[in-house]
Formats: sequence, structure tokens, C-alpha cells
Amino acid sequence: MTRRPVLEVRDLGARLPRRDGGHHLVLHGVSFSVAPGEVLAVVGESGAGKTMTLTALLGLLPARAEVRGEAVLHPPGSGSEPVSLLGLSERDRRRLRGRGIAHLPQGAATALTPVRTVGSQLRETARALGHGRASAERVVRAALARFGAEEELLGRYPHQLSGGQLQRFANAAALMGDPCLVLADEPTAGLDEDRAATTAAELRRQADEGRAVLVVTHDLRLAEDLADRVAVLYAGHTVETGPSARVLGHPRHPYTAALLAALPRHGLRPLAGEPPQAVGHVHGGCPFADRCPLVVDRCRAELPALRPAPGSDGDHRTACHRAEDLAAGPATSRPTGIPATVVAPPAGGGTC
Amino acid sequence: MRSIPRLVGARLALLLPLLALVTLVVFALAANSPFDPLLARLGSRAFSMSGSELEALRMAQGEPSVLAQWATWWGDALRGDLGVSLSLRQEVTQVIAERLPWTLLLMAVALVLAVGTGLVLGTLAAVRSGGWLDRVVTGTAYVVQASPVFWVALLGMWLFAIVLGWVPAGGLTDPGSDVVTLGALVRHLALPAVVLGLSQAPWFVLVVRDTVREELAAPYVLGAWGRGVSTPRVVVRHALRSGLLPMVTVLGVRVPELVTGAVLVETIFSWPGIASATVTAATSVDFGLLAALTVVTTVVVVLGNLAADVAYRLLDPRVGAAHE
Amino acid sequence: MSEASTLAWRPAHQRPPLLVRARERVGRSRTAIAVSLVVLAVLLPAAVLVPWLDPTAATHADITAVYSPPSAEHVLGTDGAGRDLLVRTLAALRTSFLVGLVAAAVATLIGVTVGALAAATVSWGRGAVDQLLMRLVDAVNAVPHLVLGVVIVAMLGPSVSSVITSIALTHWTTPARLVRAEMLSVQGRDFVDVAIVGGASRWRVTMRHVLPQVASRALLAAVLMVPHAIWHESALSFLGLGMPPHLPSLGAMIQDAQVAVFAGHWWPAFWPGLALVVVTLAVSGAAALLRPRERAL
Repeated sequence: MTRRPVLEVRDLGARLPRRDGGHHLVLHGVSFSVAPGEVLAVVGESGAGKTMTLTALLGLLPARAEVRGEAVLHPPGSGSEPVSLLGLSERDRRRLRGRGIAHLPQGAATALTPVRTVGSQLRETARALGHGRASAERVVRAALARFGAEEELLGRYPHQLSGGQLQRFANAAALMGDPCLVLADEPTAGLDEDRAATTAAELRRQADEGRAVLVVTHDLRLAEDLADRVAVLYAGHTVETGPSARVLGHPRHPYTAALLAALPRHGLRPLAGEPPQAVGHVHGGCPFADRCPLVVDRCRAELPALRPAPGSDGDHRTACHRAEDLAAGPATSRPTGIPATVVAPPAGGGTC
Repeated sequence: MRSIPRLVGARLALLLPLLALVTLVVFALAANSPFDPLLARLGSRAFSMSGSELEALRMAQGEPSVLAQWATWWGDALRGDLGVSLSLRQEVTQVIAERLPWTLLLMAVALVLAVGTGLVLGTLAAVRSGGWLDRVVTGTAYVVQASPVFWVALLGMWLFAIVLGWVPAGGLTDPGSDVVTLGALVRHLALPAVVLGLSQAPWFVLVVRDTVREELAAPYVLGAWGRGVSTPRVVVRHALRSGLLPMVTVLGVRVPELVTGAVLVETIFSWPGIASATVTAATSVDFGLLAALTVVTTVVVVLGNLAADVAYRLLDPRVGAAHE
Repeated sequence: MSEASTLAWRPAHQRPPLLVRARERVGRSRTAIAVSLVVLAVLLPAAVLVPWLDPTAATHADITAVYSPPSAEHVLGTDGAGRDLLVRTLAALRTSFLVGLVAAAVATLIGVTVGALAAATVSWGRGAVDQLLMRLVDAVNAVPHLVLGVVIVAMLGPSVSSVITSIALTHWTTPARLVRAEMLSVQGRDFVDVAIVGGASRWRVTMRHVLPQVASRALLAAVLMVPHAIWHESALSFLGLGMPPHLPSLGAMIQDAQVAVFAGHWWPAFWPGLALVVVTLAVSGAAALLRPRERAL
């Protein structure tokens, strides 16, 4: 069952130098992996480090940033060497851009330059991928067909196209190179229901065609509908990962539970407090300690490690000292503020 | 781009009233002048008249009002008669016909140099933002911006014409020759054009640098880069291309300054254009020539602005085009 | 790769890619403002005091030291009549600066009046007065500064007042547009209507709310205009159309220096021009203090 993941991220950390000589820690230890044919959703509140993780993977951290940990790309197919995405040379990264890794930035409509026709930009992309003039035409046509973008609109400028048309062209341009890893940043942010659904369906299709798709989103419903696996981030840490049905159905971390509780169908109970401004909280323990309804002294003293959740087979991991109590069921531990519908024992009824 | 002919038409329609207003201002100033308007109007014919004849004429015509003088001038001008230049001893129309092309040549070459420098240095500075190249380029731009063009011209003349002897110190033709050869023209044009272009370059350098830096942070630049487009191509074909628009606006603003610079550069280098003629006319209070040259330079400015606005429409597919 | 080494902090880039470098923020230079203020604080008193302390120094001609290059005795060298360039430059700087200051003030005054008048009459009879004034602004702007300036001086004859008039009449349009725009934007804001409904007269509202806003912008415009005014005066003097010959002027000094340049001497032309550059940079730099964090253009 387990194919080798395309992207493996282990304990990824990132820090930015401050003017006074110190460091601003933006990522503490992020871990997840994405396999071919799979959609991984990276979720969390804003400021949790989701976009920063993407930035680090794309090699766009500020000039004097520092990293630690590992982020390795394993291009599928025999004979390809694994590539460490951290500290990659510009030359090697250039070969990956568009071909190995595709980046769908936030607001795909703004991914195309307004003062040039979409056709010229698509052709330019094809040439950048290494095609000659003749084959570039064919590649562009093929991409248009794959994404349902209309050929007769090639001579138009971005502002002359509707949102949906522009989205299709942007997708065609970004995915023209048949990459093995797709990084999508908030793909449904700001879109209405229909467009969001189309976008989600397109991402699903990319995964079904064998690619590894990583979606950064704050929208839990998108994660539920689209993702095979989920990674939950809080303040630059990974707090829970695993198959989406399990993580979102039977969360084993108070933060995940709280995120779900904030959804309308669970009663719209948002979590009190704010995410910490700076990662690298004072007490060195669990970053969620100050807002956690299940907090005990140990939480502040000791940073919980990401371990297999109780009652799971190792694929569902959580970083919480109270994970057992959370799993024990509503009678013993229903923490205040988290409705029973959210926290439920794995067997039998549940919300999945 | 249906709106471009309309833009051109609207501007040209405004040109005549504008010139009317400008000349009215000039005539109003002349009315406050301590100089004799009758002599100015008579032009060279005054030399052949005796004192009593002039006196009689003055009594007969009285002192026409500013508006009357202005109307007479326009009446003559629209029939093609701009009067005679006392200082240059030629018909004013002849002065303009002979000299305007040289000024336009000088301005055109200088503008190309200024814009080219702006595009190249501005982009380089933007791309290496914060580095030593950026600091040198920006610092130099500010210093040149603060330097009077006539000072730069003199120092340039000292270095390149006197000390190094690479180019002649002035004029249009080599001494002793009346014929304008291409080689001589290039050698004589080089220093004045470079000085004039250099004096305007800083504005272009700074605006290109600022806009390219802004564009490089835009999501579509990130998008193009993420698709695998090479960085130089992204900078030129995406960031710079989007950043051309503010530069064109600056171009429009710089045209009158280019003419102002030409007045000084032509004077220093004895370049036979209409700008240096303006100085001659002012020094000898040659009113007819002065009024005509004011009109000509204003027309140059208006047409220059118009050209810049048209270029703006052409470069920006979002303006005008389909959203009419 | 061992556990320990991957958990160590290392640089994110071997060489940051261009796109990353280009997106770095470049901070404003506070040292530039400080330097400008220091320069002004030194130069201006020197320019005022030196000629006052020794009035004849600027015109003291030593024919034995004609065109002598910079030396210990004459720090900046001497000109064609053997006059010390340092003293002459300072004296000329004083004149140019004073003329520039007065001219900028007059231009701002005219501009503020016209702009305020235009804004105030915008509602009178479909704004005919406003339209007329704005057409006048367009007309004056369409003529290149120096051409109009030259015409004005030619018509009025060379004198200090005609130079000041020339500068004022060519530069008033910027403050006029500024003041008009500012007043219109403030007038259109809700609090004005609220105040009037509350019983305050339009005049009172204008005085207490609109004016302070406009005044600070006008002041900034006036300060920034001083280098332009000095430049304009120098250009006119250079062309021989400016200050009368007995008054020292940086432009006239450069004009005189043309002969020196032909003879291969650079210093009579260099120092007066450098003074212009330094004053321009210093005033613009210091004006950044007044500027509410906008970008310079």
C-alpha cells in the first residue's frame, strides 16, 4: 500500500534574522509526507506556518533565512535521485520549476501577467520547459485540451477573460510541464461555491493522474472533501497528521478538535484566544498550552513529540500528552467547549 | 484601440486655444515692457524710416491695446507671416524652418539616450536592490538630478573637447566647412546629445528602478518564475514590461524639461537650433521672434505629451481598448 | 545524513535567487537627512557671514594670480581676474539662495491664492472661474519653464525683481494644483457637512479645518521649490539674462568660466556648480523631514 512518498518533510524549521541580532522563529518542526496519487491538506489558522512551509519548499525564503530539518523530493520513476529542497542551488532549482514541482499561487487569476496575452505566456512556458518552436505549439494545444481552456481565447489579455476562463489558462500554464508534485496555496480562497468545487475537482484529477498534491488551506471543509491525508499545523509545529477521515473524524489533538468545533455544523464555537505571534513560546513546552482546555503542568514543561495516536496503526500521529484521554471517550474526558459530536471513539458512530 | 484617434483629436483641438492663451500672456507681458512696441512691430522697415516718419506713425496708430496687437499678430500668423527677426535678420518662418530640425534631432537623440539609460540602469539597480550597484546608480542619479545641465555641459566640454580632444567644442560643422557631412555631424552631435540626455536620465533611472522593484513582488512574476521561465526573461518580459507605463508618464513630464535643457545646451555648444535662437531673441529683445519661438516650443511640448499619452494607451491593454 | 546535522541551523540559500533579493526591503536612509542638515547648517551661515565680514574679498582682484589652480593660499583657486573663488562662490551662493527663497515664497503665495480661489469657486455657476484658472495653469505649464522665464526677463529688462517675477510666474502652478486638490478633497469630506449643519459657517470651517492641512502641504511645496528657484535664477544668469552684473551669482560665475574652460582651466566652472548641487541636495534631503513618509520622485 505504501508507495514511496514524492515529498518527505521532516522536522522542517525556519528562522529569520531580526535587526537586533536575534532570530524570529517561523517554523519549529514541520513533518509530513505526500505520496503519488494522494492529496495532502495542510491546515491551520493563519500564521500557523502553512504558507511559510510552501515558501521554504519553493526556495523563496528571505535571503538571510536559516533552515533545519529535511525536505526531500523523490521524483517517481527509476533512476531519479532524491533532491533535497533545502539549500538547493539555483541551477538545479530552475530545472525543477515547472517540470518537477508546480506552484499554484494564491488567487490563480493573478498568476498571469496582465500586459501580455495568455497565448504568449503559454507559449513562453512551453519554450521555458525546453520545447522548440514547433513542439511548443503542440504542447500548448495539448495543455489547453487537458484543462478545458478555449483555444480561440489565446489572443486575449487576462482582464478580458472571465474568472473561470482565466483559472483554466492559469492551470494549463502551471501544470503544462507534467510535474510530479503540485503545491497549491489556498486554491479556493475567495471563490464562490461553483468555482471552488471546480477547482477542488481539478486538484483531485491531478492526484488521480498520479501526481502528489499538497494543498495549503484554512478551509476544513475543503480538506474533508478533497484530501486523502491531513497535516494540522499550529504555531510552526505539526500537531497532528494522518488520513483525513480519521484526523477530521476522530481528532486526537485538542487543537484539531477545536478547529472542527468552530465549524457551523458543530455549533460554531470558535476557539478563544489568538495564535501566538512568535513561534518559540516562552515555556518551551507545547505551543498550544495557553489555549488548551486539556492543559496540565506537563504540557508547559515538555514539548510533546509526534507519536502514533492511541488506537491507530501508526499512520495517524499526534503531538499531545493528553491524547489517551482524548481518545477515551466522552464520558471520561469531554473537555469543556468541545462538543461530543466532535470527539468520539473510533468504533461505531462518528461524524465520518 | 478606438480611443486613440479620439484622444489625438481632442488634444489637437485644444492646441489652438492653448496657444492663443499663451501668446496672450506673452503680449500682456510685452505691454509692461519698457521697450518700444512700435519698433518691434515695424521690424526691419524701421531702419529705413526717418525719425519724423516714425513719430507720425506713432501718432496715427495710437497705442493699440494688448488685445489688438495680439489679434493682429494672429491674423498675420495664420496667413503664414510671422514677421521678421531683427536680431537674426531673417524672416521668422525661415528661422524656424532652418533651425527647428536641428533642435528636434538633438532632443530626439538625447531622449533615446535618457530612456535607454533609464531602462538599463534602472532594471539593473532594481534587480540587485540594496547591493552596491543599486547604491551607486541611485546615488549618482540623485547627484546628476541636482546638477545644472549647463555646468555638466561645461565640464563635459572641458574633459572631452579640450583635454581629451575627442570631440569638437561646438558648432555643427568643422571649421572652414559649410557642408554638413554625416561624420562631422555625429562628432558634433555627440557631446551635446550625451550631456542633454544625461541630464534627463536620472528621472528615468529612478522611475524604472522603483516600478521594476514593485513589479518583482507581484504575484504574476512569481507565477511566471514558478512555471520555469528563466529569471532574465521574467525580469524583462514580465516585470519590466509591466513597469513601462509609469516610465511613459515620466516621459511626458520630461519633454518641457528637455526643451529647457536644449536652450542651455544649444547655447553652450553653439548648436544652431531654435532653443539657442530663443536666447538670442531674448538678449536683443526681438519680440517677433520671441513670440513665434514661444509658440513653437509650446507646440513641441504638447505634441510630445500627446505622443507619450498615445504610447501609454498602446502599451497598456487595459486602458481604452475593449472597455469603452 | 546524521540526525544531528539535519537538525542544525543552516543558511536557506547558497546564493539567494534574484527574485528573493529583489523583494528585500530597502530602508530609508536617515543618515542622508542628517548629512543634509549638517551641510545646510555649515554652508548657509558661511555664505552669509563671509561676505559680511569681508565685503571686498569677493571682488578683490589680484592680477598676479590669474587662473591659479587650487592651492594653500586660494583653496579653490582663482578666476580670470585673480579673484579668490572660495569667497566669490560663497557670496554668489548667498545671493542665489536669497533670490531663490524670495522667489519660491512669492510663487507659493500666488499658487496658494489661485488654488484656493479655484477650489472655493468650484460651485459657482458650474465652476467657470475654476475652469478658467485651470486652463491658465495648463497654458503656463505647456510652455517650457526656461522659455517662458527668458521671455519674461526679456520683456521686463534684467533686474533682481524681473528675475524673481520670472521664477514666480513659471513656478506657481505646482502649489496651485496642490492647494486646489487638497482643498477640494477636504471640502468634500463628511465632517465639513456635519460642521455646517451643526451651525458653523463655511468660512469658519475652512479656517479651522481646511487651512492647517493645506498649510503644511504648501510649506513642503515651498521648501522643495527653493532648489528649483535657485536653478532657474542660475540658468538665467548663465545666459546673461539674469542678475545685473554687479551682483554676484553662481550662474554668472559659470558663464564667466566658459573662457577659462576653453583655456583648459576647470576650477572656475567647477566650484560654483558644485555649490548649486550641494545646496540642492541638502535642501531636498532636509525637506524629507517635512514629508509625510511619501516616496520621492
